[in-house]
Amino acid sequence: MSAEALLKKGKGVLTVEESKAVLRAAGIRTNRSGMAGNPEEAARLAEEMGFPVVMKIVSPQIVHKTEAGGVETGINTAEDAARAFTSIVKRAEAYSPEAEIKGVLVEEMAGGVEMIVGAARDPTFGHLIMFGLGGIFVEVFRDVSFRVIPIGERDALDMIDEIRGRAVIDGVRGQRGVSREGIAEVLLAVSGLVERNPQIRELDINPLMGDGDSVVAVDARIVLEGVKGDG
Amino acid sequence: MAQGMEAGLDRFFKPRSIAVIGASREAGKVGNAVCENLLRGTTKEILHARGFGGAIYPVNPRADEIMGLKCYSSIKDVPGEVDLAVVVVPARFVPTIMEEMGEKGTRAAVIISAGFSESGEEGARLEREVLRIASKQGIRIIGPNCLGVIRTHNHLNASFADMMPEPGPISFVSQSGALCTAVIQYSFEESIGFSNFVSIGNKADVDDADLLEYFASDEETQAIALYIESLKDGRRFMEAAKKTVPEKPVVILKSGRTEAGARATSSHTGSLSGSDAAYEAAFRQTGALRVYTIMELFDAAKALAYQPPAKGDRIAVVTNAGGPGVMAADQLYTRGLRLAELPKDVVKELDSFLPPAWSRSNPVDILGDATPERYGETLRVLSGCEEVDGIVVILTPQVMTRPMETARIVVESVRGVRKPVTAAWVGLSGRPSEDYLDSEGIPELTFPERAADAMAALVHRGRVLRRIQGGEWS
Repeated sequence: MSAEALLKKGKGVLTVEESKAVLRAAGIRTNRSGMAGNPEEAARLAEEMGFPVVMKIVSPQIVHKTEAGGVETGINTAEDAARAFTSIVKRAEAYSPEAEIKGVLVEEMAGGVEMIVGAARDPTFGHLIMFGLGGIFVEVFRDVSFRVIPIGERDALDMIDEIRGRAVIDGVRGQRGVSREGIAEVLLAVSGLVERNPQIRELDINPLMGDGDSVVAVDARIVLEGVKGDG
Repeated sequence: MAQGMEAGLDRFFKPRSIAVIGASREAGKVGNAVCENLLRGTTKEILHARGFGGAIYPVNPRADEIMGLKCYSSIKDVPGEVDLAVVVVPARFVPTIMEEMGEKGTRAAVIISAGFSESGEEGARLEREVLRIASKQGIRIIGPNCLGVIRTHNHLNASFADMMPEPGPISFVSQSGALCTAVIQYSFEESIGFSNFVSIGNKADVDDADLLEYFASDEETQAIALYIESLKDGRRFMEAAKKTVPEKPVVILKSGRTEAGARATSSHTGSLSGSDAAYEAAFRQTGALRVYTIMELFDAAKALAYQPPAKGDRIAVVTNAGGPGVMAADQLYTRGLRLAELPKDVVKELDSFLPPAWSRSNPVDILGDATPERYGETLRVLSGCEEVDGIVVILTPQVMTRPMETARIVVESVRGVRKPVTAAWVGLSGRPSEDYLDSEGIPELTFPERAADAMAALVHRGRVLRRIQGGEWS
């Protein structure tokens, strides 16, 4: 389904892949990914997207992928990708013999600073957009900033500058920071997306990974408004 | 409506004639206090108190005369035009009163009466009924469930507050009536003057947004202070605030910050965005300044009304004692401001007349024996310094201190300077020097932290105006 069609489908929660398709259509980079059905395909996909990659088991029955031994990270060569395919499938089968295995997802591994971008609806002001640093910053310190949608470029840059952990964006302890302009582009794209599609009730990009000029949505979730009158 | 909305609100603040519906002869009744306030400006015995100059028509079917004024049994019997009605009758009679106002051609009502949406479903129904009639008759309403409206410059006290604040440049709008009366008392202690003072109660019709737009072009208003508990239409408020801020500074105290914000949402963003986060964001986007205490609200409003916005964030502190100077510096830093770096030539110039023991850096500690003249010279040098965007002046009582002369010299030395100055005469409360500084437009705020906060408001204002002028903000 096209991004437009996905957003029109009405009620419910879009899957990660659907959500990321919507973000891509809005001009936000997402990490590349593809489904491999065999070791050769895994190697080819990994080679195409560039190393390192992450590989994950895809099976409707296996929800806790890590527990099932269904995830390998930091894969750096085509041979390793092919080998990882075989071992992931073998471990998953051992973990859950009845599980239907659809394949293995190969994903570009985005590194850098972990951030979060979101949108949600407020009863007084309508849609808000949120920005923050991911992981412990958001979980423990609730270090986030908000604006009412729509925002302009100045607002987007302010949102970035307002968070207490701002130094992490600039780069600390030899770690490369993230381009403020790059983050601002994502914020503006999310603002525009939600403004054009008010049926989006909630949107989370978590994490948004940033490394220099590369700012990539790795995981995303979009919740649409229910049918008229609901919520 | 035949006339524009602004003309409609003029009837509240610049009426030529007022009817008090529910006027009373009985002291202690609201309908009595309103009449007395209109006639004399206050219900207290105060020398020089002055009342509203236009026509006042008490309306009460059971009286012939109230306070020497002829009383009418209905607004319809009043011979002349009635621009404004102040309504104090019990809630259940208000719909009928509105119909009569419509027939009379009165287009503005301050409804003081309680018993509407604040009191439950029956009251809410009554409020909707009143609104329906008002919109049919083209009547604008302030209230219901409010204290009333005060405009000092035309001596209009259309409220039941027992005192009227001093005239001044601040317009205050409050969702809480009780806060209004408390603030009037506080304003005497702090030398705060008001142009308009509005208790908007349930905001059934006229709300914060309407008043912002009205005061934006009010010639008597230099700064607008709002006390908000909740807004009905956040987007409408933002639109009005965005239009107002380029004209007049807006300071907002919003209560209800700590509401346990986690609503039933499944997303991260939803659980992090309590309603206060939305208010905070919205206020920032309009360029209004949000504050968190009543004291800050009026400190900031006072500073913004009297002092020019700061062109930058580099602040100089002048003090005759180390500790308070450091406290001011700490607070400036906490507010995101910087201490100005004094250039060598400025230090050299200060060296030429200050005693050798002066701090030789900012905060500029001109020592415990600082004379008024020493303050004056120092301020003249700092006012002319390109590296200084604003000055906080602190005076503490020491053996040689002469508060009044120092105040005079401070006023003289910064006259005509296009840089903001705030002051703290620490431990000198109630002295005439404090009032003198205020009366000369230099906000005197008793403590170094408060003077620093007020300076932060002026720096914020400067930044907002630069952004608006630079087209950075749409």
